[in-house]
Amino acid sequence: MSTARKRRANGALRGLAAYHGAGIIIALFFLAPLAITFLASFRHGTEARQPALPPWPTNGFSLDSYRSLDTFGAGIWQHTLNSLAVSLATVVLTVAVSLLAGYGFSRYRFPLKNVLFVLVIATLMIPFQSILTPLFIILAKLGLSNSLIGLTLVYVTLQLPFSVFMMRNAFDAVPKEIEEAARIDGARDLRLLIRVLLPLVLPGVATVAIFAFLNAWNEFLAALVLLSSNEKYTLPVLMMAVRAGRLGAINWGAVQAGVAVMTIPCLIVFLALQRYYMRGLMAGAVK
Amino acid sequence: MIKRLLAATGIATLCLITGASAAEKIDMWVRSGIGDSFKKVVEAYNSTHENQVAATEVPFSELVQKYATAIAGGQAPDALSMDLIYTPAFAAAGQLEDLTDWAKQLPYFSSLSPSHVRLGTYQDRIYGLPLSVETSVFAWNKDLYRQAGLDPEKAPTSWQEIEANAEKIRKLGDDTYGFYFSGGGCGGCMIFTFTPLVWGSGADILSADGKTATLDTPQMRKAVDIYRGMVKKDLVPASAASDNGVNFLSFTNGKIGQQSLGAFAIGTLVTEHPDINFGVTLIPGVDGGTSSFAGGDNFVVTKGTGKLDAVKEFIEYVYSMKGQKVMAKYGSLPTRGDIADKVLEGLDPRMHVGLEAISVAKTPYTLQFNDLINSANGPWATFTNAAIFGDDVDGAFANAQSEMQSIIDSGQ
Amino acid sequence: MTGAGRKQQSFSRKRRRRSQWRGLLYIVPAMALVIVFFVVPVIFTGWMSLHNWPLMGTQRWIGFNNYFRMFNDSRFMSALNFTAYYTVIVTIAIFAIAFPLATFVERQRRFVSTYRTIIFLPVVIGLATASLLWVWLANVDSGFIGPALKALGLVERSPNLLASFDSAFLTIIVMVVWKIAGFTMIILLTGLQAIPAELTEAARIDGASRWQRFRYLTLPLMRRTIALALIISVTGSILAFDQFYIMTSGGPQNRMISVVYYIFNQSFVSFNLGYGAALSIALLIILVLISIAQLRLLKVGEERP
Repeated sequence: MSTARKRRANGALRGLAAYHGAGIIIALFFLAPLAITFLASFRHGTEARQPALPPWPTNGFSLDSYRSLDTFGAGIWQHTLNSLAVSLATVVLTVAVSLLAGYGFSRYRFPLKNVLFVLVIATLMIPFQSILTPLFIILAKLGLSNSLIGLTLVYVTLQLPFSVFMMRNAFDAVPKEIEEAARIDGARDLRLLIRVLLPLVLPGVATVAIFAFLNAWNEFLAALVLLSSNEKYTLPVLMMAVRAGRLGAINWGAVQAGVAVMTIPCLIVFLALQRYYMRGLMAGAVK
Repeated sequence: MIKRLLAATGIATLCLITGASAAEKIDMWVRSGIGDSFKKVVEAYNSTHENQVAATEVPFSELVQKYATAIAGGQAPDALSMDLIYTPAFAAAGQLEDLTDWAKQLPYFSSLSPSHVRLGTYQDRIYGLPLSVETSVFAWNKDLYRQAGLDPEKAPTSWQEIEANAEKIRKLGDDTYGFYFSGGGCGGCMIFTFTPLVWGSGADILSADGKTATLDTPQMRKAVDIYRGMVKKDLVPASAASDNGVNFLSFTNGKIGQQSLGAFAIGTLVTEHPDINFGVTLIPGVDGGTSSFAGGDNFVVTKGTGKLDAVKEFIEYVYSMKGQKVMAKYGSLPTRGDIADKVLEGLDPRMHVGLEAISVAKTPYTLQFNDLINSANGPWATFTNAAIFGDDVDGAFANAQSEMQSIIDSGQ
Repeated sequence: MTGAGRKQQSFSRKRRRRSQWRGLLYIVPAMALVIVFFVVPVIFTGWMSLHNWPLMGTQRWIGFNNYFRMFNDSRFMSALNFTAYYTVIVTIAIFAIAFPLATFVERQRRFVSTYRTIIFLPVVIGLATASLLWVWLANVDSGFIGPALKALGLVERSPNLLASFDSAFLTIIVMVVWKIAGFTMIILLTGLQAIPAELTEAARIDGASRWQRFRYLTLPLMRRTIALALIISVTGSILAFDQFYIMTSGGPQNRMISVVYYIFNQSFVSFNLGYGAALSIALLIILVLISIAQLRLLKVGEERP
């Protein structure tokens, strides 16, 4: 009897060890590429051409790679600021627009509702590389070409299908009774939406916000085509220049540094807000 | 406030009347990856002139598309440093300012690089003028030659010799290689460094009128065999097979014995890698003879820019002795034949080889250069990778020949 | 949706009509953006597709010639082939990794949330950034994978992973799985967690094997979740561009030209904007058809009791 229990305990222990063994291997696979790049970006400038074995700096910690990254374009700070400005503006606008639209689609009936909803979702289907030229011409007509504002509006549009879908589901999940009660208390329209419902759909908002930030931060082709002066380039456009190499040689150190600069804000945003984010994402997926 | 505004408008009107005598800011785009010479000449100009040039560097692979889109959106820069082979296409589309009358009254007009002017001319009007000239040359690393027991001062004159030297250099160490080229589908690199092998021996990849693809010649077969042989004998780094041009100047790492490169690289090597001791000579043809590709950039002005006079002032500065000197120091060959020797005086003597190459150099004139040659997914780029690294050489020839012909035919 | 309808029936008729228009008001900003930056450009694209439209210069009406040309364009056909091949392989690869991962992180154990976070990390970085990162890792001389294989003694010399089709394709698949699997995993996880534990328990007591439980219980109950994950994965793969553009420039020997890459080349390298527009419209139609088919397939199954 007791041996059987022991055996079972042993088996459980072994299962646990196997579980975490597998977990560590999996975690390594997903973590390693990022870790290797971060470590390698601090290697000495002279090491940038050597293979990353070992990936960490062996000749002492150095910021050479970041310094050479800074020599591209108008300097790394300028481009980081541009990227930040565009990404944050995209977040604010996307949240505002999709919050309203999600509420409208979830709570109201109006003519052509389903058609309009499908239209918003259909934005996902078009390879937007292929509508870049018309987009450019429209922006120019609006006086918004070569402007970060124009770029932001395009990004917001690209975010809408996911965000509206997400927010509609978030509102669908809120029990009608809460709204009824608030209505009886005299809350109406925007006040009802912001005071009563917004706190309830906050995970959805967080998801929408994070996705908007990440996508705007990472997008490169539209930025490349729509921005034409150096000082307005966002980080990914800068990275295209780094990738193209200079003087006939690609500087892998600058590439690693650029990947690090591009990646770290994404990781910070995600790690700081991941609880909301995961919850929002899962709420959206369950629907 | 209003007064100031009025004053400002007044000045603006005055500028319009007198034609840009007050300080103007010229927006100019330049492709990245052609060296520092343009950046330096702009710096020199800005520090001595009231008008200022704001140069924006655009990745070379995106410049043409961006410029064309910007024109469509009415946001084009005032002027552009454009790969000369694109000038005919833009001129044909009527997007460029006609510079004929002004250009012809320049005292040194007749001595400007002729192939640039030819490509800048469309239906007898001039739309593009030479900004930077560059030719392809063959370089060898003298230190590695010495270590391999070769005469460091003796330039190789045939591909047999180059291959033999490469073998000796390869023996120096695991990471030392005899030869390098960007073979990963870099059409621009290969037209620049590889076609001189067949040009030097009298063949070409297009017929003289540009209407027939003539890829499959005995000379081209031989050139492919030479490169294939060196790859097979492991004289070329494995990275060459996938280098789409970003590591075109691998020579600068000091571990490559020999490589064909551009004259601008001489400037880069001298200013950025002074530790590399190298020699340059003309690229030999497969059956004797020598050749080179004459490339570089043309200066073009966007049609309708209000700053034409300021742009002209800048161009004249570039053509002045001072401007030419700055350009040459960073590897751009003189665009003015009449003062070329004087410009190069006191500069690295190896630049003269680049200048010498102009006399044997060729530049294909075709409106479809991009589709045929330069595009990473065009037939020429694909051919160079498939024929040199692939298993089916005959197939590579047949495919490229037929695809080039069909592109030419569809453009007629 | 039906819940909202039922509720509103209790409202007065007048009230309902007013609220209808108010609903429209809420979606005005979204619709304005979609119309200006999506509908108009798409219509414009459709208009362009009926022209010979060079990037500069004058356009010429040619009717449906661009569409006829498409069917004889062998390069477009091979781009379609390659995209289909890539979509199938990468979707299978993602699901083959993401499904086990989802069951792995579904358990209630210590550190599970840490594993989840780590697996999800690559999702938040951009595809272009990830491509850039991996093109370095895969570099033969200055990278990591090749030199590491050599240091481990697995290969004699560092292989150039991006030089041949098979190894370059494999590298890209691994990169995409690394980047995307976490996302698919989380979506599948929500489906798994929505399955009532009693059901699984009951099936186990009835003597259903692990595979039987998966096949007849888990899979049918997860139909909608799988549909969502599948549509996201398939749509994303059909539109793939960044990884081929950045990692291999469409090489080796043009064998990695996806449809979007081909459209990009036609529009912005060869400057056939009209033809590029026609190809875009074709791609749009293909995507819509595939999505409808996927939704249909999965919905039909759902209605079974």
